[in-house]
Amino acid sequence: MTATQIQTSTIKPTNPWAKRNKARTRDVAVASVLPAILAAAVYFVGTAMGATVDPAVLLILGFLPLQLVSAFVVGKKYYGRHGREDALLIVVTIFLSTFVMVLLLSVLWSVISAGAIALRPSFILQNSHYISGTTSLDYGGAGHAIIGTVLAVAIATILTVPLGFGIAVYLTETGGKARGLIRTLVQALSGLPSVVSGLFIYSILVLMGWQTTGFSGSLALLPLMLPTVSRVSEEALRLVPVDLRNGALALGSPTWQAFAKVVFPAARSGLLTAVLLGVARIVGETAPLVLTTTYNNDTNLNPFNGPMAMLPTFIFGYIRNMYDTSIQRGWGGCLVIMILVGVLFVGARVANRKKK
Amino acid sequence: MSPQGDTKIPARRQLVTKPSRRADKVFFGLTSVAANFSIVLILLILGFLLFQAWPAFQSQGFSFFSGETWDSSATPQIFQIGPMLWGSVLVALLGMVIALPLAISLAYFIEFMAARKIAAVATTLVDLLAAIPSIVIGLWGFAVFGPVAQHWAALLHDYLGWIPYVFYHEGSNYGGSPFIAGLVVSVMIVPIITSVTREIFSQMDRDVINASIALGAGRAATFRKVILPTASGGIVGGALLGLGRALGETIAIFFVLNLVFHINFFQVINGEGGTVASMIVSKFGEADAPERSALMASGIVLFVLTLLISALSSYIVKKAQPWRTN
Repeated sequence: MTATQIQTSTIKPTNPWAKRNKARTRDVAVASVLPAILAAAVYFVGTAMGATVDPAVLLILGFLPLQLVSAFVVGKKYYGRHGREDALLIVVTIFLSTFVMVLLLSVLWSVISAGAIALRPSFILQNSHYISGTTSLDYGGAGHAIIGTVLAVAIATILTVPLGFGIAVYLTETGGKARGLIRTLVQALSGLPSVVSGLFIYSILVLMGWQTTGFSGSLALLPLMLPTVSRVSEEALRLVPVDLRNGALALGSPTWQAFAKVVFPAARSGLLTAVLLGVARIVGETAPLVLTTTYNNDTNLNPFNGPMAMLPTFIFGYIRNMYDTSIQRGWGGCLVIMILVGVLFVGARVANRKKK
Repeated sequence: MSPQGDTKIPARRQLVTKPSRRADKVFFGLTSVAANFSIVLILLILGFLLFQAWPAFQSQGFSFFSGETWDSSATPQIFQIGPMLWGSVLVALLGMVIALPLAISLAYFIEFMAARKIAAVATTLVDLLAAIPSIVIGLWGFAVFGPVAQHWAALLHDYLGWIPYVFYHEGSNYGGSPFIAGLVVSVMIVPIITSVTREIFSQMDRDVINASIALGAGRAATFRKVILPTASGGIVGGALLGLGRALGETIAIFFVLNLVFHINFFQVINGEGGTVASMIVSKFGEADAPERSALMASGIVLFVLTLLISALSSYIVKKAQPWRTN
């Protein structure tokens, strides 16, 4: 042996700064679109020929393998061995993400399309006196339930917000000793099953001999709203720079003034967001209200006396009836709740955006 | 210039915020009242429920947890929640198994794949999904998604029915099975797991990811070898958080799951099931005093279970973010 043969391999320069490879772009586009076109063609041609093509089966056994294969081929061609792995990751990620989005849009679309049938002025303005499960949708509505929800949620908000802000201030401003414990407990409260909150308030009602009123519903909503308000407002207060606080303290202001005049104004929109998100959390909460309030077909403006209808219990009652028209009413109620949630949600976004 | 001889640098002064003025004392007092309220609230919930549930625990004994009978007309009355307890666990686990890959993909898509605008839209949509009340999901699951999912269950039975036990089903009605309940629950917990996972992903050190790419690793290798090991703690914590939510989910499951007092171990498309929470809602209206006591007892079991899981999950999430100071 005269010379040792050394196997060398040269690494091809990849020039990531080079212009986009046109052939690659074309192939990627074809590989992304072709399987979908093929699957759609199979579906429509098959249906036209009279065969029953199951979309779910076609999607899982037809489209997905096809899409994987085409992505593998293109990935292997342009990126080598890594390309295949990457293609798998990309295809699976996009497929599953699309699945979630389809589910979400399906929820939104069914609420809007089915709710729009029931929604009309009388649905918002009238109560359900004289209404049974089969009465035509032209009569009666959820007005009494909307009033009930607004009153109960307003009371719950008035009770919860000071507590939630207090907890947030304790966690961020006062340097209290029990911060870790309180934070853990608030976290634990946020996992509180809503039905347990209802049972808790019901057990108090039984012990005290009180009747179920709108107020008992508000009380049952409090433990569910509290963790949301305190967590989001804690995040908002945390965003206020420490220098601002220290500056105020260094100028000699007491802690409460540093909070009220410096930190609070700076965090105001974040705190508003906390309130809005807290309200959005409880406005559609059903299980605790089913246990702690009694449904009522009439309008009741006094949350401290007599049974009071609320939107979630309105929907719950009508769905349980199982008549077509009553389920329609249920959809209408869902649409009203979703509009409320949507308004609160957008409000929270807008309030949060102003700051940045 | 070095410090000479035995000149000691004094220890750093500890800054204390002790309220000295009266107004500050009031301010500190008010906030600690609010903070202590959260302790009191949890103790009150446990105390009141335990007080009301005690008669049921006393009369039913340990078989309350293991038995399979719920009969309020028998003498003596029998209240046992074995099937419901297992049903809760089964539905929550199914929901989590379905939701976890969806949530991880979505988080990966939002953080590492999508253009910024698409990512922003997707994030908003996921947050919106989290805000949809459970009764809306329940009605959707019952009226819109139910028939579709029943069809999927029928397909599972047709194609995978040769696997013994798991895909057992009789008859042509595929409604009310743990499979459908698990799917509906997964829709509700996907946003929770996604937001936790996304937060962990977004806090990752970009330099590490870029280093991996610079070393020649592709997307998949980076995900498997760099992103996943770093974020695994957070993902597990998020999954547990979702599991806790799934256990407590009530109304949506109430509408899509049959309530049968017979333990259905793993026959996921068989229409037998029920969870503790959905049982409480369905039995509560017509219950007499002893039965309500038994429902309170089921509630306390559920609460303790979710408390344990959420404590575990927040511990794991915290461990997974060692860079977060407090």
